[in-house]
Amino acid sequence: MSPTTQGLLVFVVTIGLLFSGVPVAFGLGAISIVFLLLFQGFDALRVVAETFWSGLDEFTLVSIPMFVMMGAAIGSSPAGKDLYEALDRWLYRVPGGLAISNIGACAIFAALTGSSPACCAAIGKMGIPEMRRRGYPDDVACGSICAGGTLGILIPPSITFILYGIATETSIGRLFLAGVMPGLLLTGLFIAWTLFIIWKRGFRTHAPEFRYSWKEKFASVPKVFPFIAIIVGVMYVLYGGVATPSEGAGVGAALCVLAAVVIYRMWAPSMWWEILRDTMRESVMILMIIAAAVLFGYMLTSLYLTQTLATAIAELHVNRWVLMGIINVFLLVCGFFIPPAAIILMTSPILMPIITAAGFDPVWFGVILTINMEVGLIHPPVGLNIYIVQSIAPDVPVTTVMWGSVPYVLCMFLCIVILCIFPEIATWLPDTLMGPVHK
Amino acid sequence: MRRLSTTAGVVSALLIAVAVLVICDMVIERYIFNLTTIWQIDVVTYSIVAATFVGSSYVLMERRHINVDIVPLQIGDRGRYWLALATMALSLAFVVVLWVLTTKFWYEAFSENWRSNTVWRARLWIPYLSMPIGLGLLMLQYIAEIGGIVTGETAPFGIWPKRNAA
Repeated sequence: MSPTTQGLLVFVVTIGLLFSGVPVAFGLGAISIVFLLLFQGFDALRVVAETFWSGLDEFTLVSIPMFVMMGAAIGSSPAGKDLYEALDRWLYRVPGGLAISNIGACAIFAALTGSSPACCAAIGKMGIPEMRRRGYPDDVACGSICAGGTLGILIPPSITFILYGIATETSIGRLFLAGVMPGLLLTGLFIAWTLFIIWKRGFRTHAPEFRYSWKEKFASVPKVFPFIAIIVGVMYVLYGGVATPSEGAGVGAALCVLAAVVIYRMWAPSMWWEILRDTMRESVMILMIIAAAVLFGYMLTSLYLTQTLATAIAELHVNRWVLMGIINVFLLVCGFFIPPAAIILMTSPILMPIITAAGFDPVWFGVILTINMEVGLIHPPVGLNIYIVQSIAPDVPVTTVMWGSVPYVLCMFLCIVILCIFPEIATWLPDTLMGPVHK
Repeated sequence: MRRLSTTAGVVSALLIAVAVLVICDMVIERYIFNLTTIWQIDVVTYSIVAATFVGSSYVLMERRHINVDIVPLQIGDRGRYWLALATMALSLAFVVVLWVLTTKFWYEAFSENWRSNTVWRARLWIPYLSMPIGLGLLMLQYIAEIGGIVTGETAPFGIWPKRNAA
């Protein structure tokens, strides 16, 4: 069988199996073993155990549970509530201030937790009822939170970037920095759209009937500040080259747990267990997929499938922007169905040679890929954030949440286009702070 | 089985906690006291890998191994039942194969006394042991899950008939 036919077979079987509802990690593992057996015989199985182990035996991977723990510590504390209150108290007099503080709170919370669903749930729980109470239309209230939540995987620290960095051997510190400006750009686009739509619908209220005193305005700030300081500290350590991502994240995780315990008095062992359990559940799930994806990658390369695809695409001689367009559509379609972690681990080793051969910057592409994954989070049929928001506001029909999210999907497309025209938005910050990449 | 997997979950969570503490120790020794660290990186990495294998059965019990459930949500109750059994049988088969392979791998490391090629020269069979143990538990948990579906105690894909799964 030619590599092309084999490749097609692997592709069809993988997609089919993933859709059947089998856990992604075990599905990928099973496919790898079956195809290795089919095309290389029993001998090929000898390396499976070692490949599975070595897929995880890497110090950089330690940063994943550490960042997850940071998010879990902050997520299980009422820090989200305080952050939201603080922003609202400062911005409540600005027209549309509530929408701004919601998306802003999402952006900051995103930086703290690195997880989209956590961000959506934490800010949405306060934000959606409050927006609806003050008369914001349901679709805007829900859509803005859905969209704001997705910032979690773009604004550093982000698990998505760590996975991409590991899968493609790109600097994680550089990726984190590259996410900052596009993250702010996307936050800006989300806010701009929200303000525009509520203005267009004739919504002018900025709740003049109540006022916050300066004391109230400052009340929540000291509680949230330590967390922001920790994250900024971790980021500094990362790009300053002071320590490795795993070391920075490990100390950050310990500090975040400590801060949550001290500030929010989470002394009870049950609360500690909650943080540890959440960390463990999420990390085990991601790490299992990583191990399986490494095995999957091994299968693809040992059957020469990756190389065949890369050569085939290079021989097409298509314009590189057409190529980028096709890759984007492919990622988008994947993102509609498959969770981001699985897509990144499966596709980035295949896409990387194609991307670099076409002369694109891998760091820049990491940002583009992440925004694509964000779209999948708020786009049906999977659209995880839609369901989280819907569970917060059960009386709003799912279709309203979906339609409310659509304009934000367009904002993301716009952001991708802007990044294609001005790649410096992503690459300027890492290049300035860490020096240009040596090619 | 529930108790066994929960214990495994606690062990896995503790391994992660140990990793965090060791990292802190390493950072303090290396950056504050300027000491060279020998065993820390190995211990941290092995703890996290071991946590992954050991915690896997707990994560399965809690239905946290992420899957794509579009098809299971769309089909009827009977189809969902059979699809659940088929996917679980496939996963179980994979876990069994991996368990056999990793047990062999562990035995080789144990009988030939493999050492890591790091400064610490760790005995590799100790961290490798997490693979047969973790995957063994995962295997048992899968059998328990399949049993649960067959007896009707648990719902296929966690979706009970005629309920809004969203």
